[in-house]
Amino acid sequence: MTSFKKRVKAGDMESFQYWVKSGTPWVWINAAAVAASIILVVGLLMIIAVRGMGHFWPTAIQEFTYLEDDGRQHVISGQVRTREDVLASRLTESGLDVPEGVETFERILLKTGNRDLTGEDFRWILSYRIENQETPADLVILERQEWGAFMGRVVGLKKAGELIEVEDPWQTFLEMLVHTVDLREQITDLEKGAIGSVNYRMERLRLAERKLQLKGVSDPEAFAGIERERQELDEEYRVLEEGLVELNRDIRLDSVIMRTSDGQEVELSLASIVDAWRPNDMDLFQQLGQYFHKVWLFIVDDPREANTEGGIFPAIFGTILMVLLMSVVVTPFGVVAGLYLKEYARQGLLTRTIRIAVNNLAGVPSIVYGVFGLGFFVYTLGGSIDKLFFEAALPSPTFGTGGLFWASLTLALLTLPVVIVSTEEGLSRIPRAIREGSLALGATKWETLWRTVIPMASPGIMTGLILAVARAAGEVAPLMLVGVVKLAPSLPLDGNYPFLHPERKFMHLGFHIYDVGFQSPNVEAARPLVYATALLLVVVILLLNMVAIHVRNGLREKYKGLES
Amino acid sequence: MSDLNLGQHISQQFNAELEDVRNKVLLMGGIVEEQLGKAVLAIVTGDSELAAVVEENDYRVNALEVEIDEECTRIVARRQPAASDLRLVMAVIKTITDLERIGDESKRIARMVHDELAGSMSEDVRQELEHMGDLVREMLRTILDAFARIDVETAVKVVEFDTRVDTKYVSITRQLITYMAQDPKMIPGILDILWAARSLERIGDRCENIAEYIFYLVNGRDIRHLSKEDELAQMAAAKDSAS
Amino acid sequence: MNDSHKAGPVPVEEKVTVRVKDLDLYYDRTVQALDNINLDIPDRQVTAFIGPSGCGKSTLLRCFNRMNDLIDHCVVQGKIIIDGKNILKKKIDVAELRRQVGMVFQKPNPFPKSIYENVAYGLRIQGISKRRVLDETVEWALKGAALWDEVKDRLQEPGFGLSGGQQQRLVIARAIAVQPKVILLDEPCSALDPISTLKIEELIHELKTQYTIIIVTHNMQQAARVSDKTAFMYLGKMIEYGETNQIFTNPAEKRTEDYITGRYG
Repeated sequence: MTSFKKRVKAGDMESFQYWVKSGTPWVWINAAAVAASIILVVGLLMIIAVRGMGHFWPTAIQEFTYLEDDGRQHVISGQVRTREDVLASRLTESGLDVPEGVETFERILLKTGNRDLTGEDFRWILSYRIENQETPADLVILERQEWGAFMGRVVGLKKAGELIEVEDPWQTFLEMLVHTVDLREQITDLEKGAIGSVNYRMERLRLAERKLQLKGVSDPEAFAGIERERQELDEEYRVLEEGLVELNRDIRLDSVIMRTSDGQEVELSLASIVDAWRPNDMDLFQQLGQYFHKVWLFIVDDPREANTEGGIFPAIFGTILMVLLMSVVVTPFGVVAGLYLKEYARQGLLTRTIRIAVNNLAGVPSIVYGVFGLGFFVYTLGGSIDKLFFEAALPSPTFGTGGLFWASLTLALLTLPVVIVSTEEGLSRIPRAIREGSLALGATKWETLWRTVIPMASPGIMTGLILAVARAAGEVAPLMLVGVVKLAPSLPLDGNYPFLHPERKFMHLGFHIYDVGFQSPNVEAARPLVYATALLLVVVILLLNMVAIHVRNGLREKYKGLES
Repeated sequence: MSDLNLGQHISQQFNAELEDVRNKVLLMGGIVEEQLGKAVLAIVTGDSELAAVVEENDYRVNALEVEIDEECTRIVARRQPAASDLRLVMAVIKTITDLERIGDESKRIARMVHDELAGSMSEDVRQELEHMGDLVREMLRTILDAFARIDVETAVKVVEFDTRVDTKYVSITRQLITYMAQDPKMIPGILDILWAARSLERIGDRCENIAEYIFYLVNGRDIRHLSKEDELAQMAAAKDSAS
Repeated sequence: MNDSHKAGPVPVEEKVTVRVKDLDLYYDRTVQALDNINLDIPDRQVTAFIGPSGCGKSTLLRCFNRMNDLIDHCVVQGKIIIDGKNILKKKIDVAELRRQVGMVFQKPNPFPKSIYENVAYGLRIQGISKRRVLDETVEWALKGAALWDEVKDRLQEPGFGLSGGQQQRLVIARAIAVQPKVILLDEPCSALDPISTLKIEELIHELKTQYTIIIVTHNMQQAARVSDKTAFMYLGKMIEYGETNQIFTNPAEKRTEDYITGRYG
């Protein structure tokens, strides 16, 4: 302490040198780097979360009395999305007539809905032209099957084409909507369940018949059997179809008459309405309820309207299933390869070369794997498989086109180096004493590996798998070549035998983000969905990793005490 | 003295070895005691046959000394005894040397027994000698008892006892000098008796030595070469601090 | 200097369990680690190998269960006869040999399994899976290793939850569970505290009634305490082999004397 004081007194230069020598600046630099990293990560997540999750909040609908360019007053309703300041010159350039002498004007982006009436979902309005602004409680947002949202007021209800008189049209409307939603669910169940199953069986029957033809079987008995089955299925289908037609007729019976803020009256069939709510008439708890309801629907619903509406369940499902399938493939391959390289192969030039090659594989751009997957897996392997086993379905390919299986395989290839390297790493950390202890008891090398070494190396192997999962779940580029589509007709896992359909195309969160963000017809509407989907992708990867880390920590706990 | 815990080593074999050595020392002590008893009896009764037996049996004492010595060497080499174990082994090595000397002194007493001696021994000298022999035997028995139980208090008694032996020796010497002055012809016989008395006195000293070893074994302090008063004071102090 | 060993004469009535004849061992063909070793190891006694580091005592020990096979480019010449068979022959079943010749290592190396499974490991390797047989053998082996009383209530707890000394006794239990003829101990106490060391030594003393024990130790005092016979090795050669009493009280060789009295560099 005293010596330090002396040094400080001895002069600034010396004390600065002393400070540098003490290592303190390095500690500060390290701390700063860590802090910056944390801020970046947290900030990234915050931005994604706020932008994405705000989308689901039932924002109030404002009703503006607005002075249009032509001088007429016009009532517009909509949700305020953003406010920004623009230069007067820019407005003038775009042909707007604005007062002189003011440099900037505030303008507001409104989500107006009613695309079927106005041709646009969003419009900019200039704040200074707003003459009146209110939030009437009776404004309704309708979420529709198509054309996006509708904003307006309920003015009348029709049952089977007849106008009905009711005291509270809104309440009655909600009751009728519940009934309609119920009917719609029945229709979906029927279409996806029973009818889908019949279709699937009929397709298999067709393939079976085709197979027989290709084989050159001329036994009329066989064809007769198929014909019989087909008739049964036809019969089944007819019954189902009748039910479907009936339901479709029922659902179209009712309609609602809506009036927009600017006075247009529209009759909307209840069949086209998914959900309805009055954001201006909600207290905080109702708002919260509506919010979580929407978030939940986003997670569990199918997408609608070119992915700009509805949920992203198939994408979540596809991502997780693909990662799981990839893990199932990559783990045994990687572990066996690592085991061989570390334990059995003679260490020499060859193994060193292989090790370098494996490490370099990890650095190959992922799109190259995609190209390889397409060229080798899809065309070569898949084509051969189709020729050998699915000849009946040709010329439409079964495995000869991108699909879940090939995507998983491609990603397995992509992540194989990580698993191999970490397996080797894990194996080399097992103390020699443990192996010798096992060998000294009369165990063979394989018994030693299987009974002690591999279990002890399993946390290391799990670490490799965690890294592999993290990498694979975020990979998009190669998937676009080997099986990801923007809209898959059916999930790769369903109730039809054999339940898992690895040849099917599937949806993926990463690709979904790209598709919604850049391929969407309605970019403005889709932007919050991009953030929400990105957040979900992060959450899914996080969950997958946390499961893996949990498993690994369990294993570590089990085999701890050896690192001392 | 149970606080030495000699029998509580983790190694059972070490226990056994130490126990064996102690037993052998006690065995040796028993033989030496017997030799001394016979020698004293022989000289006071003039029994030359008994004296011959004593002379003959001395080899047993010597053999035991060698055997115990070797065993102690082995223990030191292989067990590296420490603290109380080390003191025990050292005490044993020294004790058996003294026991062997006591055996030698007994043999020397036995060697003094011959026919002419009977003429030189007056009745009062014989009684005095017998009494002194009894005293020394008592000392030896006590000290062996103290060794067996590793008991300092008993050892202290032996040190006190030695004073009486010394007094006895002085009185016998004075008596013998008187006889020598009376009749010079008896001088050779009386000298032999004097030698025997001297041997007995030496045996007393050796018993006192063993008492000092026991004190060393128990308290780890060497009290040899102190005056008797200091020695007794030390012993008393050790006893007080122990209780 | 006379390079041949100075093995003490082995009394005729002593049964020999391991006989080493003209053993040479080379690493990488050029480095000679063992040079013309000859010795007879008596049945059911403790034989200790002592010597400075790198003298080849561990290497010699690892020849007895062919642990040196694990090292690349290790060439062994000569004979080691156990049970009338030269175990250095190629066609010997090494796994079977290692069941006959158990080994305990320097650091306790329990497997990451329960105490029970650690002891049962060797039996399971042999394909024994009958619960009753396993239970009996595990109890027997743990009793044999003087560990039963300490662990009988927690057999399912992991083996490395035990203290170092207990772990080493667990490893000994694991070794005796397969009922070997010979137990090799490679510096079994070097990682233990003095009290645990004494317990292991006492255990060795009890085990020698049933097994032939060969122990390598850096600790000369330990060799003196536990062994019946001691071999002193130096630079890959067997300098002196004889009764432990004789080696430690009156060695025949000057180099032995210098080593055990601490006069080597």
